Amino acid sequence: MTAKNEIRIGVFICHCGKNIAGGLDIESLVESSKKIQGVVFVIEHKFSCSEDGQEAVQRAIQDRELDRVVIAACDPALHLLTFQRCGERAGIKPEFVDLIDIRKWTMQGSPQKIESQQALERSKKLIELAVKRIRLKRILPSVEVEPNRSILVIGGGVAGLTAGLDLADKGYKVHIVERQPTVGGKMALLYKVFPTNDCAPCILAPKTAYANVHPQIDLLTHAEVKSVEGYIGNFAVEVIQKPRYIDETKCTGCGECIETCPVKVDDEAYSGGLGHRKAIYIPYDQAIPKKAVVDAHNCLYIKKNVCRLCENVCPTDAIDFEQRTRVVELKVGAIIVATGFDEYEPFEKTEYGYGRYGNVITQFQLARLLDIDGPTGGNLSRPTDSREPKKIVMIQCVGSRDKNTHDYCSNICCMYALKHAQMIKGMVLTDSEIYICFIDMRTVGKDFEKYYRSTRELGVHFIRGRPNEIIEDPDTKNLLIKVEDPDIGQFLEIEADLVVLSCATIPSSGTEQLSKVLGIAQDENGFFKEVHPKLRPVETNVRGIYICGAAQGPKDIPDSIIQANAAASFADGELRKAKIKLPKFMVNAKSP
Amino acid sequence: MEEVYIEEFMSPGCVGCPAVKEMLEELSVEFKDKLIVEEVDITVDTTRATQYGIMSVPALVINGILKFVDVPDKEELKKAILEEMDSE
Repeated sequence: MTAKNEIRIGVFICHCGKNIAGGLDIESLVESSKKIQGVVFVIEHKFSCSEDGQEAVQRAIQDRELDRVVIAACDPALHLLTFQRCGERAGIKPEFVDLIDIRKWTMQGSPQKIESQQALERSKKLIELAVKRIRLKRILPSVEVEPNRSILVIGGGVAGLTAGLDLADKGYKVHIVERQPTVGGKMALLYKVFPTNDCAPCILAPKTAYANVHPQIDLLTHAEVKSVEGYIGNFAVEVIQKPRYIDETKCTGCGECIETCPVKVDDEAYSGGLGHRKAIYIPYDQAIPKKAVVDAHNCLYIKKNVCRLCENVCPTDAIDFEQRTRVVELKVGAIIVATGFDEYEPFEKTEYGYGRYGNVITQFQLARLLDIDGPTGGNLSRPTDSREPKKIVMIQCVGSRDKNTHDYCSNICCMYALKHAQMIKGMVLTDSEIYICFIDMRTVGKDFEKYYRSTRELGVHFIRGRPNEIIEDPDTKNLLIKVEDPDIGQFLEIEADLVVLSCATIPSSGTEQLSKVLGIAQDENGFFKEVHPKLRPVETNVRGIYICGAAQGPKDIPDSIIQANAAASFADGELRKAKIKLPKFMVNAKSP
Repeated sequence: MEEVYIEEFMSPGCVGCPAVKEMLEELSVEFKDKLIVEEVDITVDTTRATQYGIMSVPALVINGILKFVDVPDKEELKKAILEEMDSE
């Protein structure tokens, strides 16, 4: 082995066209790099990642007998692998090739861009540090481990089910953990989906039903992941499954217990708080598994030791109040996180009166009102008086593109507002008047622009402006909306029967806790963070844990499905290997 | 005595990280320029943590080898540094 003071290090400085060279003095960087202990060769290149650039690195490693290499260029998430492969081709172990990012300080549009002299000083320091790090670096021999060919999918919405089914069809054992008592996620509750206007449950049901009977899939509903230990190929997982107080093997989903139950509570999860359910319930008609579940917070027997009426009527003796929380231990080779999103609750947008005015609702609540399985059986009516709304105003970007709440675009709100406008105008209340108040209509996606045009053709009115405030008439409960439309240069006042807020898409509750359990990072908006937003959008900072769907960022169903396919493909790519090569310390430190 | 390079993996919300930082500051005074400490925020640089298979912070990588996950015992950390200083 080469002694540390004899290690020969090469430094390669990339111009990245003008992205780096346009912002700092490369010559000065080359000269300072030559003086660092251990550095025997320094070269600059216009594009180090190009074929020419990589060849130059390889040639230098061989001709100059370099032991280790530092490339000063761009984000390691982008090209570290490229240069490690390049080093391997020239005979250097990947661990002895390092890529450091000096471009972040010079590239136009980079949030970290600084002035040239400061960028030069920082770049010099970073190169010096990287050279020191790689000079002193040791590697232990790697070990080969046989991967466990089971997968954990966290989240049973459309993304999780897609990834799970992909892998189950390839022969993997798949455990899908869903915290709700049914799989299906948000999609099952959307009534219709754009741009095809298919009924959401109709196109989701084949996936949920197939997952329920697939011999390779184990559905763990009403359950949450408590802990994860280990490493790719060998994760040890603890899942906590809450009691349903129902013997699932006996329950036929007949609903007699529900009829008998005397306790009625607001149904937040499946009716958006606009309907009710019993303390024993089946979430909705197409729930999978279609088994009853007892809500322990409201059940009279669990709370007060009285009642047990459900037990008396159940024809299969499926009620089991002896059930307790169960800990399920799983061994899996990879984990796919598909925990979806929540709709932002716009209470803090006080100007719109949500929570104060009964006829101000959200788009998710509207979807539930339009759904034949929803709280009104598909009859669109106002919450305050059950009257059909004749004039409806939708307000876009509520809590999105807003520095005081969430400054990102939530991606799907324009399209679902159009969808609901089409449904109402085209099918439900054809003589209604619908206004959509928007900042920009963002209809980026296959056939989306056509969908927007066809909504306009139905006679839906579009106003380019965000209303300042809504005032409720205390007698009629109608809502007065004041909005300026700059397109026609007029200040408008609209008296509406119903206002629908298109609210931001936010990370699902529990995302922060799960990020701690899994050791994966969150981005600045709280969604799970990918390794690189362009090139590696499903990998995370933990090898073997992948993300997909709205858990990674706001996205529609087609994009969620594509990303789920990609996550499944990555997991398969790793676990299909007979052996996975890992650093010895990783295996020793974390054997599950 | 050889120099030792420590990569201190941390994140802004990490409970144990300040304790590790303080420990390393004290050891830096003791070992002077022989100890190089680099703080790596895993929420900013996710790639580096992936290379070492780090799933939680604080974590310490000494001369390229993941030695400690969670807050280490100061004496054990010192011992690990000394071992590296004496290695070839």
